[in-house]
Amino acid sequence: MAEQKNIRNFSIIAHIDHGKSTLADRLLEMTDSVSSREMEEQLLDNMDIERERGITIKARAVKMSYKASDGQTYEYNLIDTPGHVDFNYEVSRSLAACEGALLVVDATQGIEAQTLANTYLALENDLEIIPVINKIDLASADIDGSRKEIEDIIGIPAEGCPAVSAKTGQNVKDVLEKIATDIPAPSGDPDAPLKCLIFDSYYDSYRGVVVYVRVADGKVRAGTKIKMMNTGASFEVVEVGYMSAFGLVAAKELSAGEVGYITASIKNVAETRVGDTVTEESRPTPAAFEGFKKAQPMVYAGIYPADGAKYPDLKDALLKLQLNDAALMFEPETSIALGFGFRCGFLGLLHMEIIEERLEREFNLDLVTTAPSVIYKVKLKNGEEQYIDNPAVYPSPDDICEAYEPIVKASIIVPSEYVGGIMELCKDRRGTFIDMKYLDSVRVELHYTLPLNEIIYDFFDALKSRSKGYASLDYELNGYELSKLVKLDILLNMEVVDALSFIVHADKAYSRGRKIVEALKENIPRQLFEVPVQAAIGGRVIARETVKAMRKDVLAKCYGGDITRKKKLLEKQKEGKKRMRKLGSVEVPPETFMAVLKLGDDN
Amino acid sequence: MKTLGIYIHIPFCISKCAYCDFYSLADCNRTEEYIEALKTQIKSFKKRAAGYTVDTIYFGGGTPSCIQPEYISDLLSTVRKTFKVHPKAEITLEANPGTLDSNKLSIYRSAGVNRLSIGLQSANNAELKMLSRIHTWEEFESTFVLARFEGFDNINVDIMYALPQQSRTHLAETVNAVMNLSPDHISFYGLKIEQNTPFGNNPEIAKRLPDEESQYKMYMESAKRFEDGGYMQYEISNFAKKGKKCRHNIKYWRCENYLGFGVAAASLFEGELFSYAKNIDAFIDDPKSPALVESTQKLSEKDLATQYIMLGMRLTSGVDRTEYFRRFGRDLDADYYKKLKPFIEKRLAEKTVGGYRLTRRGMLVSNYILSDILEF
Repeated sequence: MAEQKNIRNFSIIAHIDHGKSTLADRLLEMTDSVSSREMEEQLLDNMDIERERGITIKARAVKMSYKASDGQTYEYNLIDTPGHVDFNYEVSRSLAACEGALLVVDATQGIEAQTLANTYLALENDLEIIPVINKIDLASADIDGSRKEIEDIIGIPAEGCPAVSAKTGQNVKDVLEKIATDIPAPSGDPDAPLKCLIFDSYYDSYRGVVVYVRVADGKVRAGTKIKMMNTGASFEVVEVGYMSAFGLVAAKELSAGEVGYITASIKNVAETRVGDTVTEESRPTPAAFEGFKKAQPMVYAGIYPADGAKYPDLKDALLKLQLNDAALMFEPETSIALGFGFRCGFLGLLHMEIIEERLEREFNLDLVTTAPSVIYKVKLKNGEEQYIDNPAVYPSPDDICEAYEPIVKASIIVPSEYVGGIMELCKDRRGTFIDMKYLDSVRVELHYTLPLNEIIYDFFDALKSRSKGYASLDYELNGYELSKLVKLDILLNMEVVDALSFIVHADKAYSRGRKIVEALKENIPRQLFEVPVQAAIGGRVIARETVKAMRKDVLAKCYGGDITRKKKLLEKQKEGKKRMRKLGSVEVPPETFMAVLKLGDDN
Repeated sequence: MKTLGIYIHIPFCISKCAYCDFYSLADCNRTEEYIEALKTQIKSFKKRAAGYTVDTIYFGGGTPSCIQPEYISDLLSTVRKTFKVHPKAEITLEANPGTLDSNKLSIYRSAGVNRLSIGLQSANNAELKMLSRIHTWEEFESTFVLARFEGFDNINVDIMYALPQQSRTHLAETVNAVMNLSPDHISFYGLKIEQNTPFGNNPEIAKRLPDEESQYKMYMESAKRFEDGGYMQYEISNFAKKGKKCRHNIKYWRCENYLGFGVAAASLFEGELFSYAKNIDAFIDDPKSPALVESTQKLSEKDLATQYIMLGMRLTSGVDRTEYFRRFGRDLDADYYKKLKPFIEKRLAEKTVGGYRLTRRGMLVSNYILSDILEF
């Protein structure tokens, strides 16, 4: 174990694609933590989905040993951070575990909203920031421009900051040196009561929950009786150690300033919440870490098994995922249309997509997902206040006194030529303009407040398509605002399909209802009878389309040689029907429920 | 009497039609070798089919009428030597206008062919051209008259509907023109765009098809015309004057025994469904080789019962409870009443005295209904 003065704990802040993982790989390689031959493409991102999306979903940490030019050997702890706005809180906790951060800026792209937001988070946590200009091997790299931008926008000196190519390894050595010289050593008291910050945890079927911690004060070892200060849960430590590039390495103890893991036969990650403080049960620290928040889902959706018989499998799968994901909430719900399923809460749409994808891939489930909804607040005439995350149970307009919807404060960075289009989009999404500032001669940062329900569907896509992919977005919840909300019901063949109901602002109800019935008309295969598709508020129909009856579905010729073929054709057709959901007498494919979402204004 | 149908595939054509995905070759070089191979294959079934009486023989293709008529006589005599053929067997030959002359017709007659199936498809020359048929309406007309003159008193005419850009009026003209000639049987097919055909490879074709509603009307209106003209519908696509139903084809739909000979031919024989590869060279090489069998499936009693429903529902007579019980030992009502009930309520199917059948509207959506009620 290194002395505290030789420990450096840091994160890397970077926008997606700006080379965070590549830089991390080089650092690992150049500290001999891993040889290039052994290395899989990008070690830090080790979930399939992460790799495919090129983003890091969950934080990971790794310990490296570096012999600096001052002759001393340092222990470097790299704490990786998730790179998406859905995981803001996790980012802030990872940063809180560090003394410094590398701010990676793509020399060909400049600073993006996400980077900026995370840099501010780092500054709030008093982190020493080392700017690193990356991708200097590319012809379009503008090193001086990037330096100037860092100084102008973030306001930190960038003179002499490393300019590297993480891809080729050029100048990465400078980064390693800078970490030793610029990032402060931790300054905890090893003899004080134990105080550790949880910045990540995951469930391992052999060890139970593995808790990643940064030890601020004190020491922890096997046998220490620990307590989670916010959840109140107590455990006896089974093992402590640190994270090497290849996995966990047990150690005798973890002491102030170090980063490592604790196992304690913990059954569920819900008891090891990110941001919580681990202390010694018999000698607790007087002050827990500030800023602990229980993960709050912002987006809710119903998840149902496409095959109703798979309900228990879905339940098992969700329980397993929850072992590893304290932010995932779910409770059973039933839908007339979809049968038994779960109402699930997610940090955001990306989180939701990841969960869906994992359920489908890792658990081989075929799912039907309803349109995501935010949590509305309604004041009823009887004085009661309710939070509604499921449009199906939204109270009748007669009972509602006032309705409120969640609002976010959004920051959008975009090249100035696209500002007009973006402002139009925000206006269309009921946004309120706050301010706008030029970051440099070409880029603008816009601030808006926007209703959350306007941005959970396809806002990000619309933003991208209106800026040729250049706009970046960051947002945080900013309370509730009074709003004119209505519940829009969708009727198929005159029957309300509960799973298709949603809440919408009154001014948008008509256009949205119109679009949905049109989309449904395209999505619902023709039945043997005509199917009216209606959108209605209360009992009033505001839009209607008709799915025409199927008139012809026949194999005209069928002789000797065709019989096997005909049989195969019918079998295939039957398979197709098995996927269908029966809504009253109407059969619809599972995609129908999501199709309602894909109503991009820009298409 | 155990009866058997025989199908003989003649895979040669003068040229391929734009919509056709049957196995045929526009190159007739290997005709002689192929006929010899066919004869060898037919003879090889002598033992297996002993005890059966052949009561239908069907020459299909391809275009059986495009080869020398003597080959047909030759094949028929091989069949007669190999199997016991009923004196009143129905012997059909598919023919295309433009490939027939009085010499051919008279040779067919003396060989015993007693039914002709003439591929017309349309009475409209522009449509014929679009389908890349090799003949005109006028050529068809003279072929037809010639056939009558040669004594064929059982002639089928194929009509195709739902052609690209076809209007209901165009179709009505074809239907009327054909009915004016008074054939004994009319096959009335909807064009289906098949993959790997010139039509299938041209995305424009599918766009030009009449919409579904028009196709529905084409079918309903034409069926009505046929019936008014004395042609009774007995299957989804087939209409016949009294006593002129095609007995061979009915065997397919009743799941009765038939043996197919030649490339790509299919058989259902004693519960086994099998078909030969679409490879003429391999066939000529060794027509008795077991390797020619491309797919084979021994049908269980339940499979056969399912197939009986799948095909029987194509017939206007429908499926029969007594026959279903006699052949498969199962209860038709227990197996299907509940499944058919919603369709009966929608008047797409109906109960008959003996069992169930589809209504004409139901026939037109039979894939939907069958994929619903059948368990494979």
